[in-house]
Amino acid sequence: MNIIQYYMYRMMRVPKTCCCLIIILLLCNSFAIAQNTTIKGFADLSVLYDKKLSFGFGEQDLFITSQLNDRFSFLGETVVKYDPSAETEFGVSIERLIVKYNYYGNHNILLGKVHTPLNYWNDTYHHGRVFYPTIDRPLIFKKEIIPLHTTGIDFQGQNLGDIRFGYDLMVGNGLGSPPVSDNDKYKSITTAVHIKPIDNMRIGASYYHDIVSKGAEVEGKTINWKVKQQLFTGSFAYFGKKFEVLAESTLALNKTDTTGVRQTFAPYIYAGYKITPKIIPYVRFDDVHYQEGEILFTKDNTTAFVLGLRYQVNYLAVLKLEYQHTDAELEGKQDMVTFQIAIGF
Amino acid sequence: MMGDFKIQCLLNKSAGLFKCLLCMMLLLSGMQVYSQTQTLTVISNEKGAPTELKLDELKSIFKGEKQRWRDGNKITIAMMKTNTPVGAYTCKKIYDMNGDEVKKFWLALVFQGKADGPQFFSSITELESFVVDNPGAIGIIDPSQSSANTHVVLVDGKKTL
Repeated sequence: MNIIQYYMYRMMRVPKTCCCLIIILLLCNSFAIAQNTTIKGFADLSVLYDKKLSFGFGEQDLFITSQLNDRFSFLGETVVKYDPSAETEFGVSIERLIVKYNYYGNHNILLGKVHTPLNYWNDTYHHGRVFYPTIDRPLIFKKEIIPLHTTGIDFQGQNLGDIRFGYDLMVGNGLGSPPVSDNDKYKSITTAVHIKPIDNMRIGASYYHDIVSKGAEVEGKTINWKVKQQLFTGSFAYFGKKFEVLAESTLALNKTDTTGVRQTFAPYIYAGYKITPKIIPYVRFDDVHYQEGEILFTKDNTTAFVLGLRYQVNYLAVLKLEYQHTDAELEGKQDMVTFQIAIGF
Repeated sequence: MMGDFKIQCLLNKSAGLFKCLLCMMLLLSGMQVYSQTQTLTVISNEKGAPTELKLDELKSIFKGEKQRWRDGNKITIAMMKTNTPVGAYTCKKIYDMNGDEVKKFWLALVFQGKADGPQFFSSITELESFVVDNPGAIGIIDPSQSSANTHVVLVDGKKTL
């Protein structure tokens, strides 16, 4: 195949993904008048310097919500992102697909694929970078300590009582399962509670339990042992008029018959100060520490320090400039400067 | 004599300038007084909202913290667009935010799947019609522009905020 034939082949393959998205958009648009349907999009572009200058972009996020009737509502989040293993180098991923039923007061049942309600970050920030206080997620997500998504059923309550108590009790397919079925008989259990004692503050705790079957594929890795996993997370978040603080810690206990229990501890803390409502300098410190003999995660003790500046153009556009220093066991020390434009539309 | 004439002209010009400045000051303070005395009224559909609310309860409702009224009707929030005088004052009074911050607040909440966003309107008449037609709806308007048919909700015992 010569180079012209190669590019023609590539061009023929690209539209398939785009066609799917266009069809989804058209269908949604035609129904929008009949029910309260909102379609929004989010995207981000970046300039990165890490010993060389690179221009790039992140996920393009299509977000749809619809009020189906007085009690049922729908939320869908579909992302197109760079995937070097895909033929077109871009893959489409359904990140969230939720039908919610509000059965009484502030109590709901959610069915579908959700962001596992394990900590503040995962429960609050999804795939729209315009909402992130920093350019990217904390290390705990990049190291895949927290299961980002779970497909299952979630019993949820919000803003109950004077302290605005909230809860999630979720049963799901668990680690190693594809999004549309369970790979084994074991179910993941997530329990999370939080309170909002004053405006803009949230204090929470959660527990996650799952059993990973021998031979399961988890984040591209085949697990050759049966692993019992427990995650304990504590969170404190305050996003006020002047100060912003977000501190979370996760303790992961992974147990096999061979190694016993292996601990991984992953805290991070973020702090920002609003010089003006639009200009916010910030810092974040991340640490992920694994115990020797860790089986489920890839052992790579890492600390990272981020120093950044966020400029809020308006509620749909944010500029961020960050310096990040990372010290990782496997990759060594790394310094990076990133500029990001994150938008909503 | 010429000197007296010049002084008289100078005095006349100064008086004119002073009057002009005085008018401008009165006009500006008048505008300030208008925005400080801007009042809001809470209206609701006959079904849903109670006849009276406390201000804290109203703020909680407008921040999406309650999904349903006691009678089971779903709460639907109606607001004037944030770039209208009534909308801008509602943002300040209820949310303690500017219009852009309120829009960000709601976009984030809807994106989290935690609440349904408010309906925004360009005219009081449209907002009133929406509230009248939708059980469970609650809205905030300028009372001087409201029609007589709307159901007013007392806040802390008062008809206006």
